[in-house]
Amino acid sequence: MKRLSMLMAGLMLAISLASNAITASADTRPPIRFGDITWESGAFTTEILRRIVEKGYGYPTETLPGSTVSMEVALARNDLQVIAEEWAGRSPAWNKAEQAGQVFALGDIVKNAEEGWWIPAYVVKGDPARNLAPLAPELRSVADLKRYPQVFRDPESPDKGRFLNSPSGWTSETVNSQKLKAYGLDTLYSNFRSGSGAALDAEINSSIRRGQPVLFYYWSPTPLMGRHELIRLEEPAYDAAAWATLTDPKNPAPRGSRSLPAKLSIGVSAAFHEAYPELVAFFEKVDLPIDLLNKALARMSETRQPPEAAAHAFLRDNPDVWKPWLPDEVARKVEASL
Amino acid sequence: MNGGFPEALQFSFAERVNRLVDWLVLNYGDQLRALSDSLLQLLVGLENILRLIPWWLLLLMVGLLAWHATRNLPRAVLLGGLLMLIGMLGLWDKLLQTLALVLVSTGLCVLIGVPLGILLASKPTARRLLLPVLDVMQTLPAFVYLIPVLMLFGLGKVPAVFATLIYALPPLVRLTELGLSQIDPSLLKAARGLGANRWQRLRRIALPIALPSIMAGLNQSVMMALSMVVVASMIGARGLGEDVLAGIQTLNVGQGVEAGLAIVALAMVIDRISQAYGQLKR
Repeated sequence: MKRLSMLMAGLMLAISLASNAITASADTRPPIRFGDITWESGAFTTEILRRIVEKGYGYPTETLPGSTVSMEVALARNDLQVIAEEWAGRSPAWNKAEQAGQVFALGDIVKNAEEGWWIPAYVVKGDPARNLAPLAPELRSVADLKRYPQVFRDPESPDKGRFLNSPSGWTSETVNSQKLKAYGLDTLYSNFRSGSGAALDAEINSSIRRGQPVLFYYWSPTPLMGRHELIRLEEPAYDAAAWATLTDPKNPAPRGSRSLPAKLSIGVSAAFHEAYPELVAFFEKVDLPIDLLNKALARMSETRQPPEAAAHAFLRDNPDVWKPWLPDEVARKVEASL
Repeated sequence: MNGGFPEALQFSFAERVNRLVDWLVLNYGDQLRALSDSLLQLLVGLENILRLIPWWLLLLMVGLLAWHATRNLPRAVLLGGLLMLIGMLGLWDKLLQTLALVLVSTGLCVLIGVPLGILLASKPTARRLLLPVLDVMQTLPAFVYLIPVLMLFGLGKVPAVFATLIYALPPLVRLTELGLSQIDPSLLKAARGLGANRWQRLRRIALPIALPSIMAGLNQSVMMALSMVVVASMIGARGLGEDVLAGIQTLNVGQGVEAGLAIVALAMVIDRISQAYGQLKR
């Protein structure tokens, strides 16, 4: 017993010494905490920002994992300082914190980010190389879907087509359900919630690999967009009044409209906003061209490159994209690190 | 990053696994989908039958079953009332979908688990080989095998049944094996002396004696199947788990609690009834 307590005491001493040594060597300013976003474009943007903040401005950074909602809550309490890709205005947790002045959405980091309904191009054009016949040669817009429910047959209710809606609980799930009604497709297609992003991706990728038709909700910037030839179904032009009927799940007579153009921002906490004005100025200017981003994401996912390496390669290959965001001196430091 | 572990000793088989999955999807994807469609018909059929039954009749049937199992009228009424509460929360249809999923996966559990438990009890080699497999089934994070299963069998109820089966099977196998291995060997010897063959010894003596243990295993399987419904909803199987998931993702704590408690209520009903049947035979 005595020996055991001696051992424990020794262990405690060693641990406390070790932790002292670590805190002593650290900078006086605590590292900036980024949300560890798991989806590709978010992970990629996080690494780009971290690299510039670390190499260009010399602040240490670290990441903390969490789900989207828990990260937004953590940001409001300043447990996190930065969320590199925030679809501001989409989630109730974010809206509440923004109104209370606890968080800020900075910049417009990816112009022309979009969401909508997509199909693989071979469904319309066929693919002679893979011996696929065009199953729906005249499918252009959501209205044309009425003619083709059998092409996208749902095994759970074979008399209907299957529309892969977004994961349960996303704002887009409500919008898509209302759109099905607005386009008169709710009796022809089953509204299939895919449950999670991973499940949606797995189903789409499996279908494309097997050359099967699939109709799904998706968004850009994503690796999927850069990787496969996809066709976005045309929808009526964006109209604010119609959009309001789509976001309200209780509206009985929704009207069709393209989705509200997405605005991707960098979310920061109020404390960060005050403490790092130079970083705030940089975040405001961030602008990633969407085609370039989709391509980079596709390469990252295809070669299974870690986001860190992908961000490094992107910064090295595209200096003219990021240099305008930064003061000359900072840009030089970043360039030297590549 | 590597924490001081020598680089020369490190290896990764991730790429090979990825290629294997790709290859399976490309070459066997369509056949496996056809297979999964037939299992799907079973599930959808059961769901539709449950939907055809009027709600009061179903409650009455559950109440009668509870009474038959427990011989306790207040308890039977209470269990029926719990189910009714789920309906009053507006979750009746989701309850039926979850029930169908749990019934089918538990049925498959019994079909696979009990024979496997008998095998384990009678063959020491099988026991040594299969026990680590059971450990893997219980601890491997579900999404690790779910995503490949999903790519091969499609989204929705079928992979959900697979996931539930993998997670809920081990307790039934273990407890069947435990029940059988605790039987006094002299009893079986006596039966042998009286001229009973292997099958008769198993059917007439071993299984009845081990039944309480097997029922306890079945009860555990059902409970674990119910705890998997949220994971099931993450791969597109509808039901009570869907509301829990949506509640979590939109920070709608109230909705999550309602659906979560509905799962608990369903679990309690199934648990009390199956426990009572297990004790009845004792």
